[in-house]
Amino acid sequence: MIKQDETRDLTLAGDSPMPKYIRRSVLALSIDDTQLGDKAYASYADAIILDFAKKANVDWQAESKARMPMAIHAASRGAAEVFVRVGCDGVVAELESVVFSGIAGVVVKGVTTAADVTAVASVLDSLEVSRGIPRGTLEIDIEVDTAGAVWHALDIARASERFGAFYINEPALCKNLGMQTTATLAFDPLEYIKSQLITVAISVGGQALGMSYPLSLTHDKVDDDTVKKAVRIARDTGFKGALCAHASWIKHCNAGFCPSPEEAAYYVKVIDVFAEGLKRGMASVPIDGKMIDVPVDLRAKLYLKWANRVQARNEAKAVAHR
Amino acid sequence: MNNRVARCVMFVTPTNPRFIDKAWTRGGDVYILDIEDSIAPAEKQRCRTLIRESIAKANKGGASIYVRINKPFVDADLPYAVWPGVDRIMLPKTESAAEYRRVHDIILKLEKERGIVPGTIELYPMIESTLGAVNIYEILTSAPRKLRSMGGGGGYDMAVNLGIEMFASFDQYAFPQANVALAAMALDMEPTGCVFVPNPSGRVDQADQATQQASALHAAGVHHAGALHPNFIEPLVKGLSATADEIAWAHKVIAAFDSLTDEGESVGMLDGKVVDKFENDLAKRTLMWAADCAAKDAYKVRAMERAQEANS
Repeated sequence: MIKQDETRDLTLAGDSPMPKYIRRSVLALSIDDTQLGDKAYASYADAIILDFAKKANVDWQAESKARMPMAIHAASRGAAEVFVRVGCDGVVAELESVVFSGIAGVVVKGVTTAADVTAVASVLDSLEVSRGIPRGTLEIDIEVDTAGAVWHALDIARASERFGAFYINEPALCKNLGMQTTATLAFDPLEYIKSQLITVAISVGGQALGMSYPLSLTHDKVDDDTVKKAVRIARDTGFKGALCAHASWIKHCNAGFCPSPEEAAYYVKVIDVFAEGLKRGMASVPIDGKMIDVPVDLRAKLYLKWANRVQARNEAKAVAHR
Repeated sequence: MNNRVARCVMFVTPTNPRFIDKAWTRGGDVYILDIEDSIAPAEKQRCRTLIRESIAKANKGGASIYVRINKPFVDADLPYAVWPGVDRIMLPKTESAAEYRRVHDIILKLEKERGIVPGTIELYPMIESTLGAVNIYEILTSAPRKLRSMGGGGGYDMAVNLGIEMFASFDQYAFPQANVALAAMALDMEPTGCVFVPNPSGRVDQADQATQQASALHAAGVHHAGALHPNFIEPLVKGLSATADEIAWAHKVIAAFDSLTDEGESVGMLDGKVVDKFENDLAKRTLMWAADCAAKDAYKVRAMERAQEANS
């Protein structure tokens, strides 16, 4: 646990958790993977997204219904949250085949309008009732892979209270935008779009998950330092986690998409210095030339809360792995 | 006077005599009398009672005066903030049209009571959250009150809302700042931000940082900047003014375009560069800005001389 004075008053930091979810690392696995349970368990990912295939010449709905409950159970063994990825086309049939108790929500790809989201929400309303899932608990996350999803991002995020997060599928989005998917530029061509999606998601109380350029696009297998740096940039952009293209990214995402111990120690110093300033009637005090005032103090308090929630999440996963 | 010229807008704490008593000598174009984040909770009420006299203190050197109030305490703050001599009320953390409109209504009532022409005090919605950034157009169009310039969408509070560490080596506010600037420009206001300048140290007191900031803003055609430390004032005022070279070039462009027009042409070349209506308009804007700055500077010099005489 991050060392923190138990008597420290954090009530000023507000009641809304920031970020909303501790979902630093997300790993996608297929329900056809014979090692699904082992991979999910060993990954230490905060969340698992289950993918399923609509196989030809097979009653895919019957097969999904038969296999999905076991797959959900297997994926959650390591205390990961479990989601199922569905497509916007034929979403009603897909949702009926994959929504079962144990999932935290669905990730919807191919969304282009707010109406797509309200349609999904409507189906979830019914399925929660019919399948014994507490009402209103299933989350809708949006995999952003179309120009329409970007253009209508605010309407989409506001379309349902179930909205939780934007995932940015950069290779698919680039294809949809007619852009090359090779990372040959010296700058991130989607910088503005990423900032937009992060801003919109947070404005409705959600969050955005993504990686920084160029890993976001190439999904290359790279050395640990490169992943660490990419995660740091992604976090400084405002992402709260990433869909990991490789399981090897997970440990870096878990460590990087949250305040580090050094940052937490600095926040404690900020809070102490600011409190001392207030006692002297000063609401703006310097630390090493940096201004410490109300928002900086608030940020320190929020981030300490964040660090402690991360610690609690890590402990829950550790218990599941004993 | 001439509050379009706001090359350096600096925060001042009215409760600190060291700051407020010297502000007029610093040469800033605008001082923001702060009742918000630089004032400790226990000092708020005392600060409110100091605003009226602080206006007279801070504008002695010819600066314009803004007042930053507290969003949770608008009813308590505004009666102490709306006075003749105040050009702008700054409403922090504005997130909705409804709260902007409500503050507009209170100011309107106070303007009428205090002999101020109704609607003349600007109301500036400070965009410091993601919700404010996405609602900006609705906010700016929700009240019939003039506002010459508008910027924001970054800063300390936005960093808190985004959950980011500030001072990265890249633009962390690309969308919110651009969205605010675009809304401002769509409504015929001057944009005042939206230009990224790295500040990896996070320091707010280094003059060379101010120089770099001014250079980047100037190149982008933005003439406004904020400051938290007096070290920023001189570099910003100097760096955001039109230079002698720019003024000379603008005169040449206008003369060249006039000649083209006389000859019935619309496009020509001057020293290897295209001269057309766009360049002509740009040159006129440069001269207009230079004239505004010169008027403001002359006003400040006269005010400073008067204040010095009164002090001696």
